[in-house]
Amino acid sequence: MTDCRDFDPFVTPLVDGALPDVERLAVEGHAEACPACRSRVAAERAVRELLRAHANALNAAPAPAGLRLACAGERSRAARAAAPPRAAAWQARLAPFALAASLVLLVGGAFLYQATARSSRVMAAELAADHVKCLGLNAALGTHQSPEAVERAMASGFGWQMHLPGNPSEAGLELVGSRPCLYGQGKVAHIMYRREGRPVSLFMLPGTTRSQERVEVLGYEAAIWCAGRRTFVLMSRAPKGEVARIASFMQSAMR
Amino acid sequence: MGEGSDQVTPAFEAEALALVDRLYRAALRLTRAPADAEDLVQETYLKAFRAAERFELGTNLRAWVLTILHNTARNRARDRGRDAVDVDSEIVERAADTWASGTRRSGAPETPESLLRRDALAPTLQAAVDALPPAFREAVWLRNVEAFTYSEIAAMLAVPAGTVTSRISRGRRALHEHLQSGLGSVAGRRSRDGGTDA
Repeated sequence: MTDCRDFDPFVTPLVDGALPDVERLAVEGHAEACPACRSRVAAERAVRELLRAHANALNAAPAPAGLRLACAGERSRAARAAAPPRAAAWQARLAPFALAASLVLLVGGAFLYQATARSSRVMAAELAADHVKCLGLNAALGTHQSPEAVERAMASGFGWQMHLPGNPSEAGLELVGSRPCLYGQGKVAHIMYRREGRPVSLFMLPGTTRSQERVEVLGYEAAIWCAGRRTFVLMSRAPKGEVARIASFMQSAMR
Repeated sequence: MGEGSDQVTPAFEAEALALVDRLYRAALRLTRAPADAEDLVQETYLKAFRAAERFELGTNLRAWVLTILHNTARNRARDRGRDAVDVDSEIVERAADTWASGTRRSGAPETPESLLRRDALAPTLQAAVDALPPAFREAVWLRNVEAFTYSEIAAMLAVPAGTVTSRISRGRRALHEHLQSGLGSVAGRRSRDGGTDA
């Protein structure tokens, strides 16, 4: 197989392991030689694995209790009781983790903006959930963006004309990329780094001011500071002193 | 009760009723309205119990019942003058191109972190899947979440197997673009109506 136009119909069966051996070898051979087709396979494989890994969570919501009864009644057996409704599986598993459980409810859409305005710890917990979620997405999708791409995204998405630190390796940082994340009644900027293999997130919340402080939540250290009408939150599982040093570096090196 | 109810064994009934959650979720994906989804599921069970003697023991009951559900959804939508799931593949492809160009821009033991990661990602994935054009959404869901084979999906959706793989391919590609472009939610997002579905 030498023509990329012939390649496309084979990607899905290749990713699903549904190709006969002879075809599979030909298709894999082309993918090895063609970076564009190889990326195509990698992208589809990443999505497939993401969905498979979360199939149980995606399939967790139960039918309404009344429906169970109605369907059982279709069989006209008055004596047969419907099975009791079960709690969504992910809620039951999270019950022992009090803050994690309330955090997942927040992620699921029960977020109260007023609560976050009062509590830095709740804000940090919500951002920790986003840090973890985006970390998972980056790992699955192989995200890697240039500083210029991130700076353009900040300018277009937030009107924030900024420059990332020119030499992040001074602080042991390696840029991964950025993502706009929905938060409360607007968006936050989420810039992602890695430091010695450990993810580091810098969030920028526009139009907000908070006192400088450090909080610890769910095993994450968060350094919070304000510049103008923007609040910054730097978050990582790095040891206490390290987060403070990285925050200090970002404050001085980011323009 | 109609003909066929005498053919319903307790085992068949129990196994079928155990699928009510899955059927409801499928019905909700197709109809986008909880009340319509409940009606669709009830009608599906009525048909399944009536046709119980036609179910071949040892074959996939889940696929069999879901095929009834999809057929019923198509018939109901046709009766209402609309297609719940696009039948004309050309229309599906054109709708998908329009949608894609419009949206293109951005076991081991559980720990609190792993629970957070799994359950923080699930709403984002759900919202991304919900935003797909209906035909692609159904194909991707049936393959990647419900793990049906191409031929089972083809029977459910009443399309050729080649159309199934094409819809899965386009759906996965669209999901990848959507997830890469960002707008993941800290506080969760409400899933949007697909626009062209019933």
